[in-house]
Amino acid sequence: MLRKLCRACAYALTAIAFVVTLGCSRTDPHVLTFAGSAVGKEGEAIRLQLDRFGKMHPDIRVEVQPTPDAANHRHQLYLQWLNARAADPDVLQLDVVWTPEFAAAGWVLNLDRFHPQVEDFFPATLTANRWNGALYALPWFVDAGMLYWRTDVIARPPADLDDLRRLAADGMREHAVPFGFVWQGARYEGLVTVFLEQLGAFGGEILDDRGRVVVDSDRAVDALTQMRDWIYTDGIVPAAVLTWQEEQVRLAFQNGQAVFMRNWPYAYSLLQDPAQSRVAGRFGVAPIPAANSGSPTAALGGSALAINANSGDPGAAYALIEYLLEPAQLLERAQLVGEYPPRPTMYATGKLGDALQINPSEARRIIEDAVPRPVTPVYSELSEILQIALHRALTRQQEPRVALRDAAAAMRKLLERFELDATPR
Amino acid sequence: MRRVTPVSGGRQLQRNEARLGWALALPALSVIALVAIGPILWAIWESLHLHDLRMPWLGRRFIGAQNYIEAFSDSRFWDAIGHTVIFAVASVTIELVVGLALAIAVDSMTRGRGVVRTAMLLPWAVPTVVVGLVWRFIFETPGGLVNTILFRAGVMAQPPIWFADPVAAWVPVILADVWKTAPFVAILLLAGLQVIDTSLYEAAQIDGASSWQQFTRITLPLLRPALLVALIFRTVDAFRVFDVIYVMTGGGPGTATEPIALYTFSALLENLRFGFGSALSVIIFTVTFVLALLAIRLMGRRALLEPVS
Repeated sequence: MLRKLCRACAYALTAIAFVVTLGCSRTDPHVLTFAGSAVGKEGEAIRLQLDRFGKMHPDIRVEVQPTPDAANHRHQLYLQWLNARAADPDVLQLDVVWTPEFAAAGWVLNLDRFHPQVEDFFPATLTANRWNGALYALPWFVDAGMLYWRTDVIARPPADLDDLRRLAADGMREHAVPFGFVWQGARYEGLVTVFLEQLGAFGGEILDDRGRVVVDSDRAVDALTQMRDWIYTDGIVPAAVLTWQEEQVRLAFQNGQAVFMRNWPYAYSLLQDPAQSRVAGRFGVAPIPAANSGSPTAALGGSALAINANSGDPGAAYALIEYLLEPAQLLERAQLVGEYPPRPTMYATGKLGDALQINPSEARRIIEDAVPRPVTPVYSELSEILQIALHRALTRQQEPRVALRDAAAAMRKLLERFELDATPR
Repeated sequence: MRRVTPVSGGRQLQRNEARLGWALALPALSVIALVAIGPILWAIWESLHLHDLRMPWLGRRFIGAQNYIEAFSDSRFWDAIGHTVIFAVASVTIELVVGLALAIAVDSMTRGRGVVRTAMLLPWAVPTVVVGLVWRFIFETPGGLVNTILFRAGVMAQPPIWFADPVAAWVPVILADVWKTAPFVAILLLAGLQVIDTSLYEAAQIDGASSWQQFTRITLPLLRPALLVALIFRTVDAFRVFDVIYVMTGGGPGTATEPIALYTFSALLENLRFGFGSALSVIIFTVTFVLALLAIRLMGRRALLEPVS
């Protein structure tokens, strides 16, 4: 009886071992895998382009490895794969803030060995994908924060931040618009991008160019104090934004409830759709204005393409990246998905304007103001510290100065713990 | 082969029995060792290391109690403990009161008790994440049901932005938890009520005891074991609270509603600080374990036996 059981166990174990080996072995050395957004229109576009690439290179077969849509879930999955030193996926779609982290960990290849052509990319998108002077990922599409304004409520976009406050208040009073200005104020990554823009507008920074924490500067305190006062003193921002993310903000603006909105470019084509938008044809976009001490700043978002350090065929992987970054493919992506290409020269063509339904030179002007979020391998933790501090100040649990001082102390401790405080950049 | 000299027939048999007993328990014990004890020991070992999945260049150094020292000197940790206690005390108290009221109401029904009992359990059967999302929706600003009602009824000209207020944010969270688990408490208490001998009430009535006296002198004392079971189950559960807060407030505003389990989740699974996160898990485990041990002692020694005897 016992022996029978043992034998059954042994069979089962052998079977499991067999299946596992089968699953792990890669018989065809020329299968490339691509991991990234593969649902909806993004999935359609990427499959189309990968098929075309496969036809051009009959010796390579490209497969899509779908990943979760939520950025933090995708990030977690990547970390599991890369920590296990898996050879798949070969090509990874990275969020722009992940590149330094993956580069410092040695999970993605230094692309300089392929001598990439980097002349025609927005400089900020390259900065965000560099670590220790080397390029680890190539920008695929860009996002930048913009100011949406109602052309039927006010006559012109604001010249500076004081002007914005005045125009918002006027619009609310004279046109009975309930909110002056709406932005992403929930405790999440979006809040950091909004703050980064105000910080730039006041001339402050999170990390200085030597990587030291300077988020407790007077200018930073001014920026955060202004954001808080918009809510409680000026009354142009509803306190409800402190629970809002992109979509709630867009819905408020789309329903005609706000004079100004801070959002990403994705909202543009949705707002132009008269079937769902009450403000179709009655809004414009402009750079987010600045105070006297700073300059107009847009937070940089978007995705980049990188190669797994354990990829079996880095050459083929790089060929795929080069193909996906050709202007023709980027234009197709703009048409199908509405994503903005990272190549400035493409903004001179009318085709891009048709694809994105936006005036390309206007879009280009905004993207040129874009600054990357702090380029550091511990960005996610840094951001978490900042999110908490900002949200505490905006919900009046702490004074802006105290909140930023605490955040700066925690960030310094973090960089020290990871021995990044002295890293040359 | 060594021959064992039989000491006495009885003892030999006892020893054989014991051996057989261990042999039979062995598969179960090994499963427990594999899925429970092993991982716990591993987590304790892990908590003594500096291990950050994002920082492979730091290696996996042994750092002794450093992670625990960091936890105990971390204000966010103590805040999280405080929030967990606030949540546990508030939600368990309300749940016991509401659960008791429900149980007594159902117990005094003469018809349809079975149907009501089943209906009552429905909230408990709904997944917590769904409960959290629905209650979040109800308290959403603007346009949430609660704020619309408060405004229309003229109770408040400016209802709070529930999830942006460090104090008000507790209201929807605790309400959702009470809504979901009070029925569970009620069912436990109902079982306790049904074993109370009705002749006690008849005797009390003959002696002229008011219904309040009957409640405090008969019902409450005899219900003590059931109350204690409910209290312990709910307290241990509340100490580990995660899902309802994760879904509703995410620990915010700031970290004003962040319980210890959520902080651990953030350290371990979002920031992938395996060493520090494991230290936090070990702390939660220890506290829950001590609570459970206390509970078992309390229930085993007195509470369960006394009223019956």
